[in-house]
Amino acid sequence: MISQLFILSSKGDHLIYKDFRGEAGNDVINVFYEKVTALPGDQPPVVMSHRDLHFVHVRQGGLYWVATTTSAGSSPFTIIDFLNRLAALVTDYCGSLSEKSVQMNFALIYELLDEVVDYGYIQTTSSDVLKNFIQTEAVSSRPFSLFDLSNVGLFGAETQQSKVAPSSAATRPIQSSRDQGVFVDVIERLSVIIGSNGAVMKADVEGEIKVKCYMLNCSEMRIGLNEEFSIGRSTLRGYGAAVHVDECRFHQAVKLDEFDDHRILKLCPSQGEQTVMQYQLSDNLPSPPPFRLFPTIERDNRGRLLIYMKLRCDLPPKSAAINVSVSVPVPKGCVSLSQELSSPEQRCELKPQSRSLVWTVPRCSGGTQLSAVFKLDVPGLSSASMLEVGPVGLTFELPKLTSTGLQIRFLRLTPVQPGPSQRWVRYVTHSDSYIIRV
Amino acid sequence: MQEWANQLCENRQFGSKMTDSKYFTTTKKGEIFELKAELNSDKKEKKKEAVKKVIASMTVGKDVSALFPDVVNCMQTDNLELKKLVYLYLMNYAKSQPDMAIMAVNTFVKDCEDPNPLIRALAVRTMGCIRVDKITEYLCEPLRKCLKDEDPYVRKTAAVCVAKLHDINAQLVEDQGFLDTLKDLISDSNPMVVANAVAALSEIAESHPNSNLMDLNPQTMNKLLTALNECTEWGQIFILDCLANYTPRDDRESQSICERVTPRLSHANSAVVLSAVKVLMKFMEMLPKDLDYYGTLLKKLAPPLVTLLSAEPELQYVALRNINLIVQRRPEILKHEMKVFFVKYNDPIYVKLEKLDIMIRLASQANIAQVLAELKEYATEVDVDFVRKAVRAIGRCAIKVEQSAERCVSTLLDLIQTKVNYVVQEAIVVIKDIFRKYPNKYESVIATLCENLDSLDEPEARAAMIWIVGEYAERIDNADELLESFLEGFHDESTQVQLQLRTAIVKLFLKKPTETQELVQQVLSLATQDSDNPDLRDRGYIYWRLLSTDPVAAKEVVLAEKPLISEETDLIEPTLLEELICHIGTLASVYHKPPSAFVEGRGQHKRLPGSGGSAESESPDAVSAGAANEVAAVIPSQGDLLGDLLNLDLTPPATTGPPPHSGGMQLGAMDLLGGGLDSLMGDESEPLGGDLGGSPAMGAGFGAAPAAMPPAFSAPVSGGLEDLFDLGGGVGMPLGSFCPPKTVWLPAMKAKGLEISGTFVRRAGVIQMEMTITNKAMSVMTGFAIQFNRNSFGLAPAGPIQVPSPLSPNQNIEVSLPLNTVGPVMKMEPLNNLQVAIKNNIDVFYFSCQYPISVLFVEDGKMERQVFLATWKDIANENESQFQIKDCHLNSDTASNKLQTSNIFTIAKRTVDGQDMLYQSMKLTNGIWVLAELKIQAGNPNYTVSLKCRAPEVSQCVFQSYEAVLKN
Repeated sequence: MISQLFILSSKGDHLIYKDFRGEAGNDVINVFYEKVTALPGDQPPVVMSHRDLHFVHVRQGGLYWVATTTSAGSSPFTIIDFLNRLAALVTDYCGSLSEKSVQMNFALIYELLDEVVDYGYIQTTSSDVLKNFIQTEAVSSRPFSLFDLSNVGLFGAETQQSKVAPSSAATRPIQSSRDQGVFVDVIERLSVIIGSNGAVMKADVEGEIKVKCYMLNCSEMRIGLNEEFSIGRSTLRGYGAAVHVDECRFHQAVKLDEFDDHRILKLCPSQGEQTVMQYQLSDNLPSPPPFRLFPTIERDNRGRLLIYMKLRCDLPPKSAAINVSVSVPVPKGCVSLSQELSSPEQRCELKPQSRSLVWTVPRCSGGTQLSAVFKLDVPGLSSASMLEVGPVGLTFELPKLTSTGLQIRFLRLTPVQPGPSQRWVRYVTHSDSYIIRV
Repeated sequence: MQEWANQLCENRQFGSKMTDSKYFTTTKKGEIFELKAELNSDKKEKKKEAVKKVIASMTVGKDVSALFPDVVNCMQTDNLELKKLVYLYLMNYAKSQPDMAIMAVNTFVKDCEDPNPLIRALAVRTMGCIRVDKITEYLCEPLRKCLKDEDPYVRKTAAVCVAKLHDINAQLVEDQGFLDTLKDLISDSNPMVVANAVAALSEIAESHPNSNLMDLNPQTMNKLLTALNECTEWGQIFILDCLANYTPRDDRESQSICERVTPRLSHANSAVVLSAVKVLMKFMEMLPKDLDYYGTLLKKLAPPLVTLLSAEPELQYVALRNINLIVQRRPEILKHEMKVFFVKYNDPIYVKLEKLDIMIRLASQANIAQVLAELKEYATEVDVDFVRKAVRAIGRCAIKVEQSAERCVSTLLDLIQTKVNYVVQEAIVVIKDIFRKYPNKYESVIATLCENLDSLDEPEARAAMIWIVGEYAERIDNADELLESFLEGFHDESTQVQLQLRTAIVKLFLKKPTETQELVQQVLSLATQDSDNPDLRDRGYIYWRLLSTDPVAAKEVVLAEKPLISEETDLIEPTLLEELICHIGTLASVYHKPPSAFVEGRGQHKRLPGSGGSAESESPDAVSAGAANEVAAVIPSQGDLLGDLLNLDLTPPATTGPPPHSGGMQLGAMDLLGGGLDSLMGDESEPLGGDLGGSPAMGAGFGAAPAAMPPAFSAPVSGGLEDLFDLGGGVGMPLGSFCPPKTVWLPAMKAKGLEISGTFVRRAGVIQMEMTITNKAMSVMTGFAIQFNRNSFGLAPAGPIQVPSPLSPNQNIEVSLPLNTVGPVMKMEPLNNLQVAIKNNIDVFYFSCQYPISVLFVEDGKMERQVFLATWKDIANENESQFQIKDCHLNSDTASNKLQTSNIFTIAKRTVDGQDMLYQSMKLTNGIWVLAELKIQAGNPNYTVSLKCRAPEVSQCVFQSYEAVLKN
């Protein structure tokens, strides 16, 4: 049971405060803020207690979303999940999530909270149900402009403007439905560990299909996945490169009667964003991992540490990785860095506080190979400090690509929408845990 | 604040449309006046804007209660948006202005009849949130109607409202029969209504532990399981949590429930998944293990648990804490899933540590190679804390999986070669543990260890190294030089190093007596003469005495074979684990503490059902409930790990964890001589980990020693020893529990000749009300009955009063009435006041009496030492109260023994400047812990007692009991 709920800005300003059960005063807000800002880094911040009160919080959009509870039986899991959902709901209703948008829409958020939680019992977080009750109109923080094309390429189209939706199209309140449209995202999170001998020790993909819908009169949406899509270890179907995942979970609004035979997800999309399907795959990636690294570490005769790195991108030739960032731990006491990089748009920086050097490559096409040499001045370099180099961590994004090979064959809306179709599909794989041991 | 306001002003420039943010900007004086005018404006839009401004001020914490009447005036409107805003205001301020809140009642009642269900529901919801007593009476009629409303949205809101009303006025809810209506709603056609009714009933039932409000029978179960399929995700959680409280009749019912709950495991909402896991974990207990279905279920549980780990770090952490419990209870579920617990580079540190913990729990011969390879990688990472834990984990693996020990040792040696300071130190600490598990097996590595002697700067690592040198002194040629080098800075070392050094040198002396005589004299004189630490000094004396009187006995004591440490010490104690499994998903599962440990006054312990008829049903009852507070981690913190190092006396007594123990007192000082004293004191209890037991031979060796003490030392030493024996003696000497003399409760004058005098006493865990009933009337008395009013601790007669009828004139009888503490609770003034009604054939008589609170102290009120320390620090200082006990002439040991008979347990004793400080704990029947510090100064008859308790109102009563017990 949630006792109080409040939203704080990152500076600790009170944005929203609602007390559901009258069990504690609003002075606990400051207690929470003190606690959370004083927390040492290694302490789990998830649950904190103050006298009889337990704080559960998440951070979303730079804000603290905090719920308090006094009862031992309440589940932090439920509360965290709920807070995340609430943040999503506020995003849906206000268009975007920021201190400003929360401030501007406080009346709307109070109204939402009233419907979403009653006496600490969570009632519903479905925007379909809620739209019957909500009266207040959202105030959009950014005027909607069709010419806002700052993020071209985001939706996977080439350069023709007609094929690209403005980036703000997907960040507007669901209530203002002048422009209709459906956005489908297939997002995969890749985590890989490659051993020092080059063997892939672990490769996991967590993926999800998200639908963001602004359609008013859409009764049914059919999403067709690859027909050779298979779930579980034993149910491989068809020939050739089957798309395969280990486990799959669906939103409860998804009807699966055509799924077994035709791999079609049927749902009546509610307005706003929802995760339609989540899936995961471990260890059996259909393609080789996107990056290989060949490092050599040695000392030169002037006592400097030399790191040669060859980074090979094993993606298909037409694809590319963007925002690649390679972070290499360096020995303690490293004072300066000089480098030789293969192209001018690459950067390299030494970060003493995290004891690492960070090599950033804005774009790296499939089949190419990049090399770099880093020279580090480490006073008192010993053979033991050579061991402090490694493991190398990569973060990157692969637009227009799914590592499982999952594709959306078609996206059909019933009834058929008149006018120009507004259906957008994008694929992206990103990785923030791609470890190559050296 | 000003800056923020400026920023907000800027925000206004965005967009041509008016935005809400401007409401935050009106902070100048006279604003209340302005708002008042706007609120009374005729224009609807203006009114709405004004109310919004008011609410904005309310949010940032300004007091706008002065506008109450004006806002309430806006209430009568057909604009739903405005109405909602006004209601929001009302909920916030009604409590501070109860009289004015009445003004709103009419509108509420009217709104409850509105044709629009949204307005009806809104009115009921808001009325419930206005926590003003006067309003509640008006609420009943509308609520009754709304509970039977045709619209499910109104019904579900009304169901919640019953819970709200119950919180304000429980009696009213019972009298009005709302509970029955609520029960009917469980069979409602709308699943949302069912879910809310279940949630409301569960909460109400929790405050009445004995009512069977939620009588779960197969029929209701069926209804709930049906509703489960149709509910929203959050409703499913309520229902699943409620299902978890049900105890199935047999394994077939259990299986059918499991079958119907299993589909929830693939739900997208992970909170639903975890609640389903809780239900399944509980009901699985009932299933016979040879059943096919049992195996199927085990297989089905793994994938959802793995999936929980793909969520955000916060959720991952909570999931991992729960998985940690599940793995301990049923390791077979996840035994093939080791890989998912491998640490990711970008996991937050708290997730990493938790994963590490689970990895070790899952480590087995089959996967140890993989685990070790991982751990070795972790040991080269950047984060110091994580690296340390990883190194420790390697040690735990060696101890857990014997086949891997050799590989672990070589891995550790590799790590020592890196010369990274903290890695080396940590590695040495764990190698010492490995030596203790596999003695005489890996001594070849000692040479490598000795090379790193100089780089050790942490006390724990130094102490470990010294232990190794002392233990294997005969194989290290220059052991004496090594130890001597430590001795130079003896006074700068921390206590654990000093203690260790002293013991190590004594060992060395016993092994190589010829060349180290000087050294041992030096260390003992340092320890006994130049040290202020009583621990160091007294143990120094004992060694000195032993060595000087009977070196053979000394050898037997000091060099006795030590019991091996076992790997199972890291597990959560089984009773606690069972309870925690019942609390999967809740706060308890994150803290790994039972709810009673962090929410006071919750005595309900949940238990898993026993498996039907199988011989395997666990019976961990032997372990006293006091152990429940002990929370183990796989990788113990410094104190824990050292605490279980027998013969190491590294730890100052205040942090040694004594094993949970029902009656006896154990002080850290007792593991003094290789644990031998434990058996000497006739203490047979084997502690949980099984690593503190002693060997009888050692006991005998020591027993002989004091008899032959040289007189020169006898004064200081016997003092120390007497202390020891006194404490030990206390164990075997049961004294009668404190019983205050009887007082007259009901004089004959007031009760038509019936006189009652009585007292309260606790015997064998049962509270007894002892009464002498005298008939001073002229006629016989028959038909006695007794009843208690509600009281602070829920005292109630456990059975009817047994008075032989008839009671003839001038006859008196002694009656002993056993009491329990499950009656209704109401706070009394004073707290220990009890109002009693006694009835006989003549009339009903009332009297009130006060019971000593000591009868409520339960037998398992001995707090774990570390828990005590933590709790003492945790309780705020304003909850501490100090009292003086005057004219008491006891020494501290007698006092402690006396208090113990009344279940006030001494946990530790410290002597500072001739003043004895006793640290004591006691637990009340309702689970409230009271911590005490008793200061006794020799020769001063005035004691000071400081009491700390989360419920400070009991302190006064506790003090009275202290005084009564001590002066008795």
